[in-house]
Amino acid sequence: MTNSLAAPVISDADFQKFAEFFYRKTGIHFDDGKRYFVDKRLLERIAATGAESFRAWFTALRFETQGGELQRLVNAMTVNETYFFREAYQFDCMVRHLLDEIAARKRPGGRIRIWSVPSSTGEEPYSIAIYLLERWARIDDYEVEILSSDIDTDVLAAAQRGVYSARSVAQLPPAYLERYFTPAGDGEWRIARELVDAVEFSQVNLTHAADTRRFRDIDLIFCRNLLIYFDDLSRRVAAEAMYDALNPGGFVCLGHSESMSRICSLYTPRRFPDAMVYQRPLEG
Amino acid sequence: MALRKAAPGAPATAVLRRVEPREYARQFDGLCAQLGDADAGVRRWAARDLAEHPGAARMLAARLAAEADTSVRAVILSSLARIGGPAAVDALLPLLRSEDAMLRNGAIEALAGLPDAVAPRIEALLADPDGDVRIFSVNLLGLLPHPRVPQWLAQVLERETEANVVGAALDVLAEVGGPELAGPLRRTLARFAGEPYIRFAAELALQRIESP
Repeated sequence: MTNSLAAPVISDADFQKFAEFFYRKTGIHFDDGKRYFVDKRLLERIAATGAESFRAWFTALRFETQGGELQRLVNAMTVNETYFFREAYQFDCMVRHLLDEIAARKRPGGRIRIWSVPSSTGEEPYSIAIYLLERWARIDDYEVEILSSDIDTDVLAAAQRGVYSARSVAQLPPAYLERYFTPAGDGEWRIARELVDAVEFSQVNLTHAADTRRFRDIDLIFCRNLLIYFDDLSRRVAAEAMYDALNPGGFVCLGHSESMSRICSLYTPRRFPDAMVYQRPLEG
Repeated sequence: MALRKAAPGAPATAVLRRVEPREYARQFDGLCAQLGDADAGVRRWAARDLAEHPGAARMLAARLAAEADTSVRAVILSSLARIGGPAAVDALLPLLRSEDAMLRNGAIEALAGLPDAVAPRIEALLADPDGDVRIFSVNLLGLLPHPRVPQWLAQVLERETEANVVGAALDVLAEVGGPELAGPLRRTLARFAGEPYIRFAAELALQRIESP
């Protein structure tokens, strides 16, 4: 039993209770193999909030109406790092399956629109562009547009500046680094201006209809590791906005720990060899 | 952009293309009229934009009852949740009596996002003559971020006569209950001694809340 005289501990039942709650809120599942990782962060949050026990902290978390502590907890439990070719299995899925399926519904030379949101500092939309140029043989048969949006104007400015650390480009094949980047000094790399110009950046709040109304006829959306930070209603509103932005048959790629099926029932899950993606039905 | 593969050794070329703004009449009356449009996409956008109009709750609820398209229904429910307040709760509560499980669950999710507005209605919901409505109300408590949830659950344990409602409360209680619910749980065990499921669920909940 935890008490005010001893440091809080996380019991097996506490862990179970927390894991069930956290899964329901975020779709992230922690099993016993993650006990050390989870316990450490739970104890940090308990200490940071001044709660005297897990139970006191969990009760406050469970019944808070604003979601502030849940947000901080999600931040603590997830790795919020972006770099080129992150979760590249979805880009593989894009060039091996999704684009061909999309192209089959287009006339020759037709327009394919890809939306990357959030853009963060640009690693994702530029990774998509590089993947298309390097690994999709039909790139010249279609007019491909890449749109990328973020709510944060600072990261949009950084994306358009296009200067990256060595760590950010570490996953890129050396040939791609040479082809699309130039050294910018201090170990940093500047992306080719042509790629910066190839992405249309814009500020968007996915939960504001006035912002998302501009986006339509999209064929493929990358919305990875963003919805996990939203509350339940905002998550549904964003998923519904993406539904209307997509063409019928269009796809959404979420982060590896996210599941559209837990957010709304509008999309059809599609399992491809490389990844699970979500499709707006062709009818509807 | 139009992304083009360049000649070997040369960088990619691109041409920027502006995203064209979408023009709609976004006035209240126009949006209400569009809720009845033949095109589901128009209805979805009308429902989404009506979230900016607090007076639209009743109109949205009326449309919900007639709407067959699940994507439009989803947006209407989200818009009601965004409007919030007593008007949205008034519009959503009758859906707990719906035979349509998707609609009912959507209403529960939307109501769960309105804890302050829904709280004054919980007592009445838990006393509803319809046992199914009481079960759905307990399901709502399981999602509702409100400090009185344990107290409402204790009330269900002490007063409820239908085993199915008590069982639903026990499921929720296993997660949210604290030591203050040990007494009501033990009395529930005694009251429903002949119900194996209640015994199992109550013992599990006790185990959870009393564990070291």
